[in-house]
Amino acid sequence: MHLQQLSRTAHGDLRIDPDKARSQAASAHLVPLSRAELRQASRSYPLFFAKDLETGQFFPAALLGLKASENLFWDGAVFDADYIPLNIRRLPFYIGGENPAQGMICIDADSAGIDPKGECRILEDDGSDSAYIQGIQAMLATLSQQHEPTRQFAQTAADLGLLSEIKLDIVLDDGERIEVAGLYGIDDRNFEQNFDRIGTFEEKMLYAAMMLSLDNVAGLVRRKNIRNGALAAWHTPASG
Amino acid sequence: MTRMTRSVCIVGGGAAGWLTAGLLAARRSSPDGSGLKVTLIESEQIGIIGVGEGTWPTMRNTLKKIGISETQFVRRCNASFKQGAKFARWRTGAADDFYYHPLVLPEGFPTVDLAPYWNAASLEDPAAPSFSDAVCFQEFLCENHRAPKLISSPEFGGIANYAYHLDAHLFAELVREHCVERLGVKHVLDDVTEVERAECGDIAAIVGQRTGRLEADLFVDCTGFASRLLGDALEVPFVDCSDVLFIDRALAVQVPYESEDSPVVSHTVSTGQKHGWIWDIGLKNRRGVGYVYSSSHAQGDDVEAELAAYVGPKFDCLTTREIRIRAGHRAQFWKHNCVAVGMSAGFLEPLEASALVMIELSADYIAAMLPATRSGMDVVAARYNEITQYRWDRVIEFLKLHYVLSERNDTAFWRDNRDPASIPQRLIDQLELWRYNSPSELDFSSSHEMFPAASYQYVLFGMGFKMDADMQRHALRDPVAAQLAFERNAMLKRQWVPKLPTTRDLLNKLEQYEFQKI
Repeated sequence: MHLQQLSRTAHGDLRIDPDKARSQAASAHLVPLSRAELRQASRSYPLFFAKDLETGQFFPAALLGLKASENLFWDGAVFDADYIPLNIRRLPFYIGGENPAQGMICIDADSAGIDPKGECRILEDDGSDSAYIQGIQAMLATLSQQHEPTRQFAQTAADLGLLSEIKLDIVLDDGERIEVAGLYGIDDRNFEQNFDRIGTFEEKMLYAAMMLSLDNVAGLVRRKNIRNGALAAWHTPASG
Repeated sequence: MTRMTRSVCIVGGGAAGWLTAGLLAARRSSPDGSGLKVTLIESEQIGIIGVGEGTWPTMRNTLKKIGISETQFVRRCNASFKQGAKFARWRTGAADDFYYHPLVLPEGFPTVDLAPYWNAASLEDPAAPSFSDAVCFQEFLCENHRAPKLISSPEFGGIANYAYHLDAHLFAELVREHCVERLGVKHVLDDVTEVERAECGDIAAIVGQRTGRLEADLFVDCTGFASRLLGDALEVPFVDCSDVLFIDRALAVQVPYESEDSPVVSHTVSTGQKHGWIWDIGLKNRRGVGYVYSSSHAQGDDVEAELAAYVGPKFDCLTTREIRIRAGHRAQFWKHNCVAVGMSAGFLEPLEASALVMIELSADYIAAMLPATRSGMDVVAARYNEITQYRWDRVIEFLKLHYVLSERNDTAFWRDNRDPASIPQRLIDQLELWRYNSPSELDFSSSHEMFPAASYQYVLFGMGFKMDADMQRHALRDPVAAQLAFERNAMLKRQWVPKLPTTRDLLNKLEQYEFQKI
């Protein structure tokens, strides 16, 4: 990764292929979410809280794979899901600087998404911002504005005792056993017990959405079985 | 007429008093005032000794029970993480002589006992790795200044077992605040001038200079060495143990760090000296150092010069404090309606940080077993006395074990410590048995055991004790399992030293971030 501050002079002529840019997420098995997208994301992915290893603090995230570096929604060319998290859609752009609330827009100069044949431009012929880059700016603005509310949302869940550690223990169709640790989710009993202590109706809905999203683990397992089945067909010589 | 136990009065406000108040109130009191009424009276005149700065891992559970978060505790008490003790210059006295008593059990213990395998290997090759290093990865963490946990570990949980180093004054303050503000403990600042007895022998009330009579159903004596209630008022005699453990004096000093990022050593270092040993306890903001020695052995010798040599040039600007210690305990710990907790019950040199843990165990027992009525109290008291006596005996033996295997001949202090007349018979018997069988859980079968068999292994083999190889062949029947356990230990060292933060880094992070509850 090589981040450069985005500028009209240095990057105005670049073209971007968003699908190729998203190929970077091919190896992302856990993607941080912002509070504003939890409801939409909860329909496609199981949502968990995970701990930032540098600070020990919780953040909400979508689980995309059952193993490290595995994204079961990346089919090799496109990101196959009804909702794609902001942190993947905004690629190859980032917020630079220490404080995300007042950061500058950066581009990863090493991204595979920078492609002369790409369909998206950064500037129009008349030098104005393209609709594409305006969309990127809006996403990055949401991410930075939501940074603090998201942190608080996660901390509140921990402080209210809504969370419990969730260990996934899965046996796949081919007999392989997968254990996933280090994930925390909204625990239904804790949720019920502390329901009245949750501040707002909106927060209650979001925690409920996260809790119900855990059922989407079944979808992940289905994708994993299909992928393993495809791999097995590839490896096994056709008989007869 | 049988009187209900509705109130407890604790006299004395050091760590013993406040921990007892906290454990009692957390378990027995209710916010609406319907439960046990706990009152603590402490003098404004009498300070606390406050050198007990090392805990056992039990403190994690104690804090959890009382309801103090780990982050709050570490921040408020300048606390750090303790992963056991390093004993330097205890065996030969040479500059490079040391061993560890870590808090993590030997790999595989007790299913696979590595001691006989290690014993055989080290008889063959005297340069083989030390016992503690060969069977446990914690020594390697300590030598590399690693913390026992990550910032992402839950509070009170970690990668390696751990206890704490803490500032005893700040600790008493924190527990007091928590007891008064959260647990409904009543705090009275006054000097006790009189202990009023009832006809049956019980304490009827204590009389405060300003606040007058204070009645209670149970009195807890936390008055330190003075033992105002159990010793003075109820005349329970003191059982002196200085014939076994010679140390009777401490010279303590607080040593600042060289700089803000000096490493915080995450184990207690105990370094053998001419007439005793020096403790060295790393807190976040300073070290607590002290020379505990036998005054009769040190007579005429300059103990302060020894401490100065240990601390280095900055010693000249520091203030030392001398503390007199009486090694021993009361003949009874609970008599009538009075129980002593802390130094009023007894005190031993702080070699294995036994002071705070004895307080925790005592307070826990009292909180759990507090009889509903006065008529049940004598039964509970008799059991409590039996258990507590057992615990003191085991601690005394374990402390003595550190001395009896020393090869040091430089002073009378070390030679006298090996005099058979000074060694408890049970320890002599154990040492005879351990020549043929390594310390096992069968040697320590009480449910009130203080130190696990693993601790005896660490000290025994750390001090150079060797078992008779010819009598050990039966214990070497599963070399594959042993080999796997040794390899697992090596793997844990490789795995965790790069991943764990230094203790200093973790403490710095805790200024900004908190451990999660889960």
